[in-house]
Amino acid sequence: MKWSQFFSTSIGKKLLVGATGFFLCTFLIVHLAGNLSLMKQDGGEAFNLYADFMGHNPLIQTLAWGLKVVILIHAFLAIQLTIRNQAARPVKYAVKPGNSTSSWYSRQMAVMGSILFIFLVIHLANFWWAMHYGDIPSSTYNGKQVGDLYTVVWTAFENIGLVVLYIAGMIALSFHLIHGFKSAMQTFGFNHPKYNGMINFVGLWLFGIVIPVLFAVIPVYIYYKQIA
Amino acid sequence: MKLTLKVWRQKNKQDKGQFETYQVSDVSKDMSFLEMFDVLNERLINEGKEPIAFDHDCREGICGMCSMYINGRAHGPWDQTTTCQLHMRAYNDGDTIVVEPWRASAFPVIKDLTVDRNAFDRIIQAGGYISVNTGNAVDANAIPIEKHDADLAFAAAACIGCGACVAACKNSSAMLFTSAKVSQLALLPQGHPERATRAADMVMQMDKEGFGSCTNTGACEAECPKGISISNIARMNRELFSAGFTK
Repeated sequence: MKWSQFFSTSIGKKLLVGATGFFLCTFLIVHLAGNLSLMKQDGGEAFNLYADFMGHNPLIQTLAWGLKVVILIHAFLAIQLTIRNQAARPVKYAVKPGNSTSSWYSRQMAVMGSILFIFLVIHLANFWWAMHYGDIPSSTYNGKQVGDLYTVVWTAFENIGLVVLYIAGMIALSFHLIHGFKSAMQTFGFNHPKYNGMINFVGLWLFGIVIPVLFAVIPVYIYYKQIA
Repeated sequence: MKLTLKVWRQKNKQDKGQFETYQVSDVSKDMSFLEMFDVLNERLINEGKEPIAFDHDCREGICGMCSMYINGRAHGPWDQTTTCQLHMRAYNDGDTIVVEPWRASAFPVIKDLTVDRNAFDRIIQAGGYISVNTGNAVDANAIPIEKHDADLAFAAAACIGCGACVAACKNSSAMLFTSAKVSQLALLPQGHPERATRAADMVMQMDKEGFGSCTNTGACEAECPKGISISNIARMNRELFSAGFTK
């Protein structure tokens, strides 16, 4: 079987969607670890030094561009498969089974993914663009001058509209990952009675609840601190 | 019981088709769903009308011919039951029942509730077989097979190829059917010589037929009248990976 044949099968494409999705999941963990320092009561030193390191380390910068490519591959292949899936049933049923045979969020991966993509564009415009190309204030720590992204973030989340948008984005992320993690594992071929419980647990609790909730807590925390 | 049936009527492949409403009275709770259709068809014939075309054969739940999509569920509301084994005690007097054919571009409607499932045969032809040397039959116990594997192969072989998995899947994916056929042979030593090419050929044929891809919602497993597990899909993926990465 040639590589071209393998990757033109629906399963070959799904393997790529799953693998890129998995890479994005690991990225989320790193991103969250850095973001939590936004809540540290140090005037932004830890977060700004972290943001500066991420913004200037050549290895991280290479990975960051790789990350953007991975997101585009994930989205492109998922859209391609979704179009194909839609075409596989040209005449729809008059009566649909609702949630009796599958969970609603498992059927709405494309919708959740689209919401996440819109969220991502807004998120990058707010902070990534500002950090790299915008005119942001700077702070000096131990003689080193770095961009003060901490202040940019804290100012941005004074806006309740943006806080609500971030919570909505994290709800979409939660449902996308509750199904996505488990689904990717199944696509990789990991389905075994000894491990299925663990896979479901990690998918639901780590990627579906803990990570999105911790991400969402940050803007809420900042908003309440700002108005207090 | 008195029931209102809304049944999909379509003259042929080219016809657009539409729902027709029928009132059926004197339905016994002990009738099977297909017997209820027999009664309605007899009446239609007596009235000089065209009877409703639907697939059926053994009426024992083992042949895989019956294929009705009833009130949004493949083979109706009961778990692990084919339409012929669904009985009218599942319904109450005055109920309205909507009956549609399997919907998939790979399963075109031939007439009314009958669909063309030859796509499944072509998937089997692509690789769902084993090479057997001619000559005397080999003693059945000559090849030791672990009980666990034999049970898994048997559970996969229970697939009757009815197409409920395709009908139930939001993507009209044939992954459960194809994976059951790949698994039953991959699990047994007799299936090993063609193992890699089988998975590749059957998956490529499945894609070529125009079935959608799997999004792991699990609707196929929930609707399968033979309780085929989606663990077979994971196994087929592994089989394809080993073909794709090593052959």
